Amino acid sequence: MAKYDVVVIGGGSTGTAVARDCAMRGLKTLLLERDDIASATTGTCAGMISSGLKYMDEPDIVDMCSDEVVYFKRIARHIIEKNPILTPLLEMSDISSGGNFAEEYSKRAETRDVPPVLFLTPEDSLKIEPMLNPDLIASLYFEEYFIDPFALCMLQALDAKQHGADIKTYCEVTDILTKKGSITGVQYFNRITDKMESVKTKAIINAAGPWAHKIAALAGAKLELRLNKGAHVILDRRVVNVGVITKAIEGRMIYLFPHENTVLLGTTALDTWEDPDTLVASQDEIEYLLKSMEWVIPSIRDARIIRTMEGVRPLVPTWKIPEGDVTRGYEVIDHEPEGVSGLISFTGGKLVVCRHMAKAATDLVCKNLGVEAECKTHIEPLPGNSDDVDILALAKEYGVSQHTVERMRARRGSETATILELTRNHPEWKTTICTCEPVIEAELRYAIRETFPQTLNDLRRRVRLGTGPCQGTFCTFKAASILAEELELSGADFQLEIVDFLAERWKGKRQSIRGEQIAQEELAQGIYACVGNLDQALEELDYDLKPWEEVL
Amino acid sequence: MDLEADIVVIGGGMAGLVAGIRATEEGMKTILLRKGQSATAYSSGAIDVIGYLPGGTVPLGSPVEGLQGIASMFPFHPYGLLGFTDAESGTVSKTIVEKVRTAVSWLKTTLLSSNMPLFGDIDSNLDAVTVLGTVKPTCMIQETMWPGSLMLDADSVALFAGVRGLPIFNPRMAAQVFLEHQISNRLPPRKAGYHVLDLAPFGNNHNISSIEIARYLDNEDNLSVLAKTLKKQADRIGATHIALPPVLGFNRARENQLALQDLTGAYAFELLSFPPSVPGLRLQRGLETAFVKGGGTLLVGHHAEMDSPKSSIVKEVTAVGPKRNFKISTKAVILATGKFIGGGITGTENGIRESVFDLMTVSESFRIATSAIPQKLTNTIALSHMGHPLFGSGLSVDPQFRPITKEDFHAAENLYAAGSILAGYNYPAEKSGLGVAIVTGYMASRNAVDHVKGVSA
Repeated sequence: MAKYDVVVIGGGSTGTAVARDCAMRGLKTLLLERDDIASATTGTCAGMISSGLKYMDEPDIVDMCSDEVVYFKRIARHIIEKNPILTPLLEMSDISSGGNFAEEYSKRAETRDVPPVLFLTPEDSLKIEPMLNPDLIASLYFEEYFIDPFALCMLQALDAKQHGADIKTYCEVTDILTKKGSITGVQYFNRITDKMESVKTKAIINAAGPWAHKIAALAGAKLELRLNKGAHVILDRRVVNVGVITKAIEGRMIYLFPHENTVLLGTTALDTWEDPDTLVASQDEIEYLLKSMEWVIPSIRDARIIRTMEGVRPLVPTWKIPEGDVTRGYEVIDHEPEGVSGLISFTGGKLVVCRHMAKAATDLVCKNLGVEAECKTHIEPLPGNSDDVDILALAKEYGVSQHTVERMRARRGSETATILELTRNHPEWKTTICTCEPVIEAELRYAIRETFPQTLNDLRRRVRLGTGPCQGTFCTFKAASILAEELELSGADFQLEIVDFLAERWKGKRQSIRGEQIAQEELAQGIYACVGNLDQALEELDYDLKPWEEVL
Repeated sequence: MDLEADIVVIGGGMAGLVAGIRATEEGMKTILLRKGQSATAYSSGAIDVIGYLPGGTVPLGSPVEGLQGIASMFPFHPYGLLGFTDAESGTVSKTIVEKVRTAVSWLKTTLLSSNMPLFGDIDSNLDAVTVLGTVKPTCMIQETMWPGSLMLDADSVALFAGVRGLPIFNPRMAAQVFLEHQISNRLPPRKAGYHVLDLAPFGNNHNISSIEIARYLDNEDNLSVLAKTLKKQADRIGATHIALPPVLGFNRARENQLALQDLTGAYAFELLSFPPSVPGLRLQRGLETAFVKGGGTLLVGHHAEMDSPKSSIVKEVTAVGPKRNFKISTKAVILATGKFIGGGITGTENGIRESVFDLMTVSESFRIATSAIPQKLTNTIALSHMGHPLFGSGLSVDPQFRPITKEDFHAAENLYAAGSILAGYNYPAEKSGLGVAIVTGYMASRNAVDHVKGVSA
């Protein structure tokens, strides 16, 4: 039986950060993820890594976030972008609440390389963002950083791997083995090999996010979480030039953020007890977001909604206060005092502090194991961050459009040249497979070979395949055949990949389906059901109903 | 008045063009408005009549069998409506079958005269092979798409040949899917291979579209290089049949098919494909040619604007074009604007709407859908034999194919509807899209013509 110094459970931003930190400090590390990297909470967040309006009454947390942004800029600049944000003020009462924020934000502006908060006149605000409600009386202008959450997790996992960690996706922990109150190992079901497997370890870091309490329970430990659902509506293009933050109908803050080629409108906050796998955004959540944003961006309903996405926040368990008042800090819980030695769990936290959370937990593990090693995760760059990328030169050299190369750079950083080099022997790999994003065949082949996707959905998380307005209508079957070739899938599994991918896309498309997106779906049905006849193949293919699907 | 017509057809897909061609054949002065590209042009070019009963999972051996099932179980299905005018018991099913047979045979003859031979009839469904390697039941296909004896001859061997840089077709996966399917159904062929051709049409080696290759192969000289490689590859595995993506040409497809057979010794055919679809475009062009040849007036790039019919008769339609608008006086109107792709039906958070006249819409099960939230008309499963009721929503019509109002009365006595704008059938699941378009276009046109003749008499 394999033996590890530490086993990390969960492949979100925290879990991958922990695996990276542990591996960099020389611990023999295993990461177990029951699905794919960044396939739950992290994969459904907006990627904002900054101090929000929300957390100004927690100055320590704001300081921490501010420092973490500086580190991310050092280790992962290629997957970061800085977006200007406007907070339009429509009433006098909005202005008073803006003052405190401006002061707190501006204190830390210089270290993050952003200007202090500016108050803009209506004229200047409308110059920057003509879509704003012209009745505004002023706006706050500031700048925030965003990171690609999929890429961050993937790079942390890959970097952990390069430092000797084993990363196992599709491995669901089924039992935590203990002896006399001490952790001795982990048992898990490997969904790729269809086998139960187990490993020995004395230390487990439970970074399972909204499932963390269930993992703790496997070891007989108690963990309480306050689970809170957040939903986004995704619009098909950059309908605004800048991010917009405003108050929702009941006074919470919501936002409209440019995100890759799209715009995210979010979020809702609902305490939830449902299985995170079955959650979808409700009609009420969609209307809540649209109605709230309509006051400041009156044309918001003209935009094409491509889908919704929803995730569950594993908040620190504080009760009888609104979600927004719960700390955005985190807790590292050593279960030793309750008689489970070797198990460490997280509650709370957020994307921007994932590295900080990892450091805290890894420090504790090192102390417990008697290992002395310094944390370097804030110094050593992540893969792809090594050089600047000359978009224009690469586009010219390889005969690929500048737009395509720029989008590739945003995902791959300095690996861009390596990927394009593949097209020397295979010029046909310059073919655009996903036209919305766009993604060329060479990047798909590269991602399949280098970043261990098991499914087409995994590939989506790695290259943003099928995330644009067409939601996979035109790329699913093309990309599936490439994946099938690379992984040597059977004809049945190739078809299953197509159906599974469409099922996952439909989960988000369905809730908000309206306008042009209905025509888009009719086309998708025309392709995959009417012509492809895959609607009649589910039984033959042994299709498993997804958690959010109901028997017809 | 800018223009005068006996019949105005709104919509230039299969239903509208069938209605328009039929009207011109009856001597009607016909003006057809086409806003943009039709869903027919995006189609695979295969003419489905009925492949599965609504909600069914067993492929129908023949459209006739399916029509009989619809006659007894789904009276409000567009095909079911065909039986209402002869509602004497016992003859409904026969009436429906005969009406479909008439319309489908008429189309076959009409397209033959536009140099587009079709294969098949409503007495049996064909097994058509797709670019995924899957097989689907359909009624008629263009002759270049008929796989011949591939699935009948015990000794057949298939070569799936793709083109490097053409992403719509992966011959390796298609061959694998097809072979697995045939073997599990104990059908030939028992052997299939694949090859990727280096064709580089017009010098392109990536991002190639099937339309580009079809244009390339419309030039006679370009076929011989392709034939030479195909022969070598067919000989290598002893292929009796060569499956190609649908790229054999817009004008020379049939000639190219025959030439390939001569040059390679194997039977070459085109697979059913996804948009952009060469066979879909061929079908669209064939229909438009027939319409214009018959004396019809085609206004491309024009859509119709109307208020909801306030009077019981529509006397005027405004054709809105990119440069100017025409007012057209008319004696009858056929609405064939399609469903969501065509834009005949739209859906928002406020309901399902008909876009030209704001007619009453209904769901697949004929509940009023004017205020229905689209999401409520969908299932949680993306792809299934049940489809999504949303795509079965549209207009409810009387037995003469006139849209009806809440009061169950026709919205206007000279307004007819045809094609996918109609409610009560789910074409992606049933595999009935172009068939319903043909038959309802044919019948709506007949009723409109009768109305006009009655009016003028």
